[in-house]
Amino acid sequence: MSDQSVGLVVGTVDSTPLLFSVALAPGQYLQLDDVVVTGRTVPGFGAVLTSGVVTQVVARHEGATYGSDVFLIADGVLPAQVQEIAEITTTRVEPECYVPPTPGSPARRATGEERAQALYFDKMDRKVPVGLGRDGEPIYLNLEFLDGTRGGHVSISGISGVATKTSFALFLLYSIFRSGVLGKRSVNAKALVFSVKGEDLLFLDHRNTKLDADLVAHYARLGLPAEPFSSVGFFAPPTPDDPSGRPFVAGRTSGVSSFWWTLAEFCSEELLAFVFADAEDERNQYTMVIHQVAARLRREATPVGDGAVMVDGRRLATYSDLVEFVSDRLSDEDSRRDWAGPVTGVGTINAFLRRLRSSLKPLRTLVRGDLASTAGRRVSTEGQQVTVVDLHNLPERAQRFVVGVVLASETARKEQAGAAGLLFTMIDELNKYAPREGSSPIKEVLLDIAERGRSLGIILIGAQQTASEVERRIVSNSSIKVVGRLDPAEAGRPEYGFLPPSQRQRATLAKPGTMFVAQPEIPVPLAVEFPFPAWATRASESAGDAPSRNGSVSQDPFARLPAAPEDDDAPF
Amino acid sequence: MKFTVDPWDPSYGASVDGELAESSAEIDTGVEVPVERWAPIDPDRSLVPPEAVLFVDGVRRIDAQVWVDEGQGVASPALCATYAAGVVCSCPDGGAHLVAAHVRRGLFSTVAAGADVDTGAGSYRFSHTPARPGADPTQVLSLAVQRSMAEVELLAAAQARADHGVADDLLVVDGPLRGRQHLPRAVGFVKTHDKTYLPTELGGIVAALGSGQRTPVFRLGSAAQDLLAQRFTWYLRLPCAPGSPWAGVARVECSGQLAPAEAVVLAGVSQGSLIRFASTEYKDSRAPQNLYPIAGLERQLRRRLGDPKLMYRALRRAAATA
Repeated sequence: MSDQSVGLVVGTVDSTPLLFSVALAPGQYLQLDDVVVTGRTVPGFGAVLTSGVVTQVVARHEGATYGSDVFLIADGVLPAQVQEIAEITTTRVEPECYVPPTPGSPARRATGEERAQALYFDKMDRKVPVGLGRDGEPIYLNLEFLDGTRGGHVSISGISGVATKTSFALFLLYSIFRSGVLGKRSVNAKALVFSVKGEDLLFLDHRNTKLDADLVAHYARLGLPAEPFSSVGFFAPPTPDDPSGRPFVAGRTSGVSSFWWTLAEFCSEELLAFVFADAEDERNQYTMVIHQVAARLRREATPVGDGAVMVDGRRLATYSDLVEFVSDRLSDEDSRRDWAGPVTGVGTINAFLRRLRSSLKPLRTLVRGDLASTAGRRVSTEGQQVTVVDLHNLPERAQRFVVGVVLASETARKEQAGAAGLLFTMIDELNKYAPREGSSPIKEVLLDIAERGRSLGIILIGAQQTASEVERRIVSNSSIKVVGRLDPAEAGRPEYGFLPPSQRQRATLAKPGTMFVAQPEIPVPLAVEFPFPAWATRASESAGDAPSRNGSVSQDPFARLPAAPEDDDAPF
Repeated sequence: MKFTVDPWDPSYGASVDGELAESSAEIDTGVEVPVERWAPIDPDRSLVPPEAVLFVDGVRRIDAQVWVDEGQGVASPALCATYAAGVVCSCPDGGAHLVAAHVRRGLFSTVAAGADVDTGAGSYRFSHTPARPGADPTQVLSLAVQRSMAEVELLAAAQARADHGVADDLLVVDGPLRGRQHLPRAVGFVKTHDKTYLPTELGGIVAALGSGQRTPVFRLGSAAQDLLAQRFTWYLRLPCAPGSPWAGVARVECSGQLAPAEAVVLAGVSQGSLIRFASTEYKDSRAPQNLYPIAGLERQLRRRLGDPKLMYRALRRAAATA
């Protein structure tokens, strides 16, 4: 055996081109996810290298027959030997000659170029670092499967709280933007992030006080600077019942714009459909009424000052005015025919009205005709690289409305602008917006993005606790599948078929910060550890603004940090 | 009717061969205590156990019976055998571990002129054993294999001692000490009994032995004999389920060249060590006499003998091309 060799291919277990086992030499070890390479000479091909990833390691007492023999062995009475056998799942055979590794061939840990070859990194022209492997070396994603060239969309699954889905998605965005992999395209690459869980994402542009030398080194190993996001815009809904429309956030006092839609926009852009964004039942007749009323509002409404509208001679300045008005028109025998369609029954209209009235409370802070319009009022990704839309203060129905409207308008904008730039859209709780059953306007938008977004340059980064509850076509259209800690029942579902059995089991005990990343080119998902965020994830971690908006590095990145970093656990 | 079942697997026979024949050897029962004070002796806890206990054993297998052609239509029988010997050391540092293992293959023939046989699976060294008139040649050859194995055992034991370098060790040889008396600090461990050495009046002591107890040391062979032919020996009952009078009894012997006092100390020291290694019934078909380390050693050695079918086929192929 050579110096690097860790063991020999065993002959007592079948050795196949796709799965083989290695017996470890005394004093050597292999752990799950280690990359191993072995070779043999094949006539006509020369040296054939088979490389793979360790998917299981078994240790046994050889020479022991009974379970209780272990006590005799420990007592020095019965001779026996501990033997470890590692199971290797092949990732690559180079050149392509699918022969099994021969028993007795030495196997070694793959490092450097051999490792890159085993994991196909050598075939990736543009690669995005996603974290460190178990061996402490970077693991990459092929950008071509992220930017729509050959594939797009990312699906991230895992239990809330421990799976660190949001942190991973943000790290992925950071890596895409800051690793330099986009080249010139980075100017036109944007991210739209919907934040549904607290104000964690409102400090993306602030340094993290827990950033220490180790973390900087971790980022450096990945070829990344350890900095906050450099160009971020924050949007939050207006504070309810506040006449000035201040953004409804507690932790951050500056740099957040409040967003709302004017009644004029609501009418002219037919946003009414997104009010009824819960799962639609095809048998429900009232969906007809939605489209009738929306079309009617678009035709009849004329904007008057501050976003209010004039319809049929009535000035509507608030969402409740609008709801009252529509309700009047539909209750009136004469106008009902015009507003709801000629043959619509009273039951259907009542169903519509009931749902419209229930939207009053959630939406009245978002659809306004009584606030002075400000420059940053409309959610737009144009002015900055990362756009964070904070939804955590909104009721679920309003969240759906915002996500639906923003996505629809961004899709429309991209459709017009063409696929020159890239827009990464990150949505948490995707199962809420695109559930497996039923249909809704938001689901239609998301399906459109999933199926057509690649060509438009819109890439969906969806996170959900359970991939099994998300529309199948969205998950199946995702080129990159990522899994954090999984619920054991969930791990057994067919949506996770891409994980080999041992990884499925491991996913149920994955630590925060560990993810399994599956990409089309590599047949085995790879376990990665991504670094703790370099940006603040709450007000208490914030070390203030980034040094500049264009991301240049200041002379001493630790100047603002406390001398002795606190010994604290990761917040994710 | 009251009866007990012998713990040994029937295919091995019993540890006691039916009626024990009266031995013709002269014995001296007064080595440790006078005959009047003979009684079972408990393990002496005050004795320091050896740092390491080495177990020596060998295994053998007849791979094929062959006929060596002598010309003119005469062929004489020969044996192709694989035999191995090894040593397991039980010490506090390394647990029980294999310290030496030697595997040999040989072609044993009564024909004087012969050659080594090379096969695809290994080569068999030719060795000549003169035929004994009146004796079954197969019997003679089988004994020759046994002798060769004993030689390798000796080699393994010497090498293990040299390699291991523990001054205070105890060497346990599986079977009688015959031919190995010169090894220092060695005891022979005899599992089966075909003779009784004790006179009838003392034989009851063996049956009266409790778990872990031994009889006093006695000498085999008369004082007039050469020291080499003499041995000190004693019976030891290994811990086992109560059964027949001889259940779990082994005979342990050491060289007659030792001073009687030395032999008594060795008996005491080995008593404490050996009972530790006794096997249990469900784990070994010759429990408790087949000690765990020896059973483990035999397994390891058998593995090293190679696959018998493979050896047999290799020999046939070699015979066809010879």
